[in-house]
Amino acid sequence: MTQQLTETRLRKTLPRLSRARAATVRPWLLLAPALAVLAVLLLWPLVRVFLFSLQDYGLREITTGELSWIGLENYAEILASPELWTVVLPNTVGFAVLSVVGTVAFGTGVAVLLASLGTFWRTVTSSAIMAAWAMPAVTGTYVWVWIFDADRGVFNDVLMGLGLLDDPTNWFTDRWSFYAIVLLNVIHHGFPFVAVTVLAGLLGVPKEMLEAAEMDGAGAFRRFFSIIVPQLRQVFAVVIILSTIWDFKVFAQVYLMPGGAGSNRSVLNLGVWSYVESFGQNRYGFGSAIAVLLTLLLLAITAVYVRAVLAEEER
Amino acid sequence: MTRAMRRPIAAATGALLLAATTAACGGGGDGGDSEGDGTLDVWIMQGTNPDADGFFADVSTAFEEETGATLNVEFVEWGDAHDRFVTSIAGGTTPDVAETGTTWTPEFADAGALASLDEHVEGAGIGDDLVEGLVEAGTYDEQLYGMPWYAGVRSLVYNTEMFEKAGVEPPTTWEELEEAAAGLKEEYPDKIAVAVPGDAEFTVYPWVWGAGGEVATLEGDTWTSGLDSPESQEGLEFWTGLATEGGYSSTGATTWRETDVLDAFAAGDVGMAVMGSWTPGAIVDANADMEGKFAAVPIPGQDGGIAPSVLGGSHLSMFETAEDKDLAFTFIEMMTTGEFAQQWSEQSGYFPGQVSLLDETLESTDPLVAPFARQFVEGGASVPAAPTYGNVQAKLTTSTMMQSILSGDATVAEASKAAAEEMTSVLNGSE
Repeated sequence: MTQQLTETRLRKTLPRLSRARAATVRPWLLLAPALAVLAVLLLWPLVRVFLFSLQDYGLREITTGELSWIGLENYAEILASPELWTVVLPNTVGFAVLSVVGTVAFGTGVAVLLASLGTFWRTVTSSAIMAAWAMPAVTGTYVWVWIFDADRGVFNDVLMGLGLLDDPTNWFTDRWSFYAIVLLNVIHHGFPFVAVTVLAGLLGVPKEMLEAAEMDGAGAFRRFFSIIVPQLRQVFAVVIILSTIWDFKVFAQVYLMPGGAGSNRSVLNLGVWSYVESFGQNRYGFGSAIAVLLTLLLLAITAVYVRAVLAEEER
Repeated sequence: MTRAMRRPIAAATGALLLAATTAACGGGGDGGDSEGDGTLDVWIMQGTNPDADGFFADVSTAFEEETGATLNVEFVEWGDAHDRFVTSIAGGTTPDVAETGTTWTPEFADAGALASLDEHVEGAGIGDDLVEGLVEAGTYDEQLYGMPWYAGVRSLVYNTEMFEKAGVEPPTTWEELEEAAAGLKEEYPDKIAVAVPGDAEFTVYPWVWGAGGEVATLEGDTWTSGLDSPESQEGLEFWTGLATEGGYSSTGATTWRETDVLDAFAAGDVGMAVMGSWTPGAIVDANADMEGKFAAVPIPGQDGGIAPSVLGGSHLSMFETAEDKDLAFTFIEMMTTGEFAQQWSEQSGYFPGQVSLLDETLESTDPLVAPFARQFVEGGASVPAAPTYGNVQAKLTTSTMMQSILSGDATVAEASKAAAEEMTSVLNGSE
C-alpha cells in the first residue's frame, strides 16, 4: 500500500523519466536523507582527518591558523619508525589474533552452554555474563590490575600461599605476562557480546536437522561442526569482524595498566604508541596519519574476510 | 583508542568551526556583550583547596567591590585541563585568566596564547618579591608569562614509629640514608624500608641534582640532557641501587606512581619515601591512625646539605583573548599577593609564590611544615623551562629509564644514555 503510494507519487514528480531511469534513480532518492546525514557525520570528519594527516599540525598551527602542508612526510615517518615494526605492530597484531580467537571460542562455548540450559538457568547465566559486558573498560581494567598487584594482589597471595612463589613478582614489567593479563581482561569483557549473538543464531538452527543428524548417528561434535557452524556462518562473520576491529584498537586496557602508558616501551601497542607520539607531543597531523593508516588496515582485513565468506557461500 | 585519539581531532575540528563562526560574528569575545565593566572569566583547577567555593565567594565579593566587574570562576579537573586548554586555544575561547601548571606555562606561551605580564608586574612593583624557582618556570623567551601563585615541594617523609623501633635517625647524607634503610629492613623484613617508585619522575631528579648532575641545560638555542653524565649516573646508581642491590624497596614499586607510594605509606608499609608537602593531609585522610606518626626532613645531598627538589605548582596566566588586560591583572595581583594569597596557602597546604608571605611560613615549627619550607627555600629547583618539556613528560622518558633499571632490563649506564638521547631530541623539538 505505502509502496504503491510512493510509487505513484514518484511517477508524478518525475513524469519525464522513463521507467528504467526511475528504477535506477528511485533507490538513491530514498537513500538520500540517510546518505546526507552520514556524509555530514562521518564522511566530513574523515576527510578532515585525512587533510590533517598531510600537514604539520600542532598547537602553534592551531593558534595562528597557518597551515603547513608537508605532503606524505607524516606517513613516511610512521613507516620508517623502527619501533613500529619491532614492538608496536607485533604486539598489536599478535594480541588481536589471540584475543579474537579467544573471545570467539570462549563466547561460542558459552552460547552452546546457554542453548542447552532451561529457561530459568539461561536467564540467570545470561544476566551474570551481561554484568561482565556492562562493566566499563576502565573499571574492569582496575579490577584486573588489583588482582595481579605485586604487593597486595590476590594472585601473588594465592601463589605464595601454595608455596609456588617465594617472593612477590611484578607481573606488569614483563611483556608476556603483561599481555596475558590484558588478554584475560579483553576476553572477559568481549565474550558476552559473542555469546549473546551466537546464542541468537543457535536458537534459529532448525531442530529437525539436528534430530535427523542424531538419528543418522552424528555425535555432538559432528553435529556442531557439520550443521551448526555452517548455519551460523554470517553470525560468525559479524562477530569476528567486529572483534578484530575492537581488539586492534585496544587502548584503555593497556594504557591504564602499570607501565602501560609508555614507561614500559616493550608493551606499547598501536593505540598507546600513537597517543603518546602524537597527542602527547601535540602533533595532531602525525596522529591523524596513524588513524588513516589504521583505518586502511582494518578496511583491508574486513574486505579480505568478507570476500572469503562470500566466496565460500557461492560454492 | 579511537576514543582517545579521535576526540581531540573532533574537538579541534569543532573548535575550528567555532572559531570561524565567532570570527564571522565580528569577534565579540567569549564574554558576550556584557556592559562596560563586564565579567572576568577564570579557570581554576579543582581539588587544590578543599574549600575553594567559600574562598572564591570571598574573592568575588572583594573583586566586585574594587573593580565593579563580576568574577566568573569555573573549576577544571587536572586530568582534562590540558586538552581543554588546547581546544579552547584552538577556538579562541580561552578564559581571561587561568591557573596553569608550571610546566604548561612555557608551552602555552610558545603557542602564542598567553599575554606577557612584565609590564603589569613592573607597574605594580612586585617583581622582586616573587619566588625565584616559580619565576624561572614561568619565564619563556625572557618574558614572564606565569605569575607565581602557589607551589609545593617534595622532601623525604618518614614513619617515626618505624624509625624509633628500628633505632635509626632521619638521614642527613646518603650514607646515613642507606644505613637507616638497612636498620629498617632488619626490624621490618616484610615492609618497604624506602620506596623507589618507577613511574614518578619528580622523585628521581633530587638524586641527580644531589650528586651534582643536571637534568638538562640550555646553551644558545640548544638543550642538552645531562642525565647520562658521570655525576647523574652516580646519583641514579645510588637511588636505584637501594632497590636493586639493597632490596630496600619492593618489586611492586617498579611500576608505582606517586599515588601508589602515598597509599602504601598511609597503610604504614613504608619506612621513608620522597613525598610532597601537600601529602600529609591526604595521608591522615586515608588512615587516621597515621596522625602524628610521621615527619619530614629535606632530601639530603650526597655528603650533607640539601639536594634540590622540583617546585611543583601553579601560575596564574593571562590569555591574549582577555579584552581588559588591566582588569585581568587586578585579579591576578589580588590572588597572588597579600591576604588572599596567604589564605589560599593556609587552606590548601601549599606555599605561596610571594617571598614576603613565605617568610611567615618559614617561622613555623610544625614538623610537617618546617622541613618542607626549608627545602622550598634552600633546595627548590625547576625542571627545564622549555616549551617542549611537556612532551618529555608525555613520553615518560624518565619513568622509562627508571623502570628499565628497576626491573633489571638495563644498567644505569645504558638506561640513562638512552633517556638522555631521547630527552635531548624531544627538548629540541627534533624527533
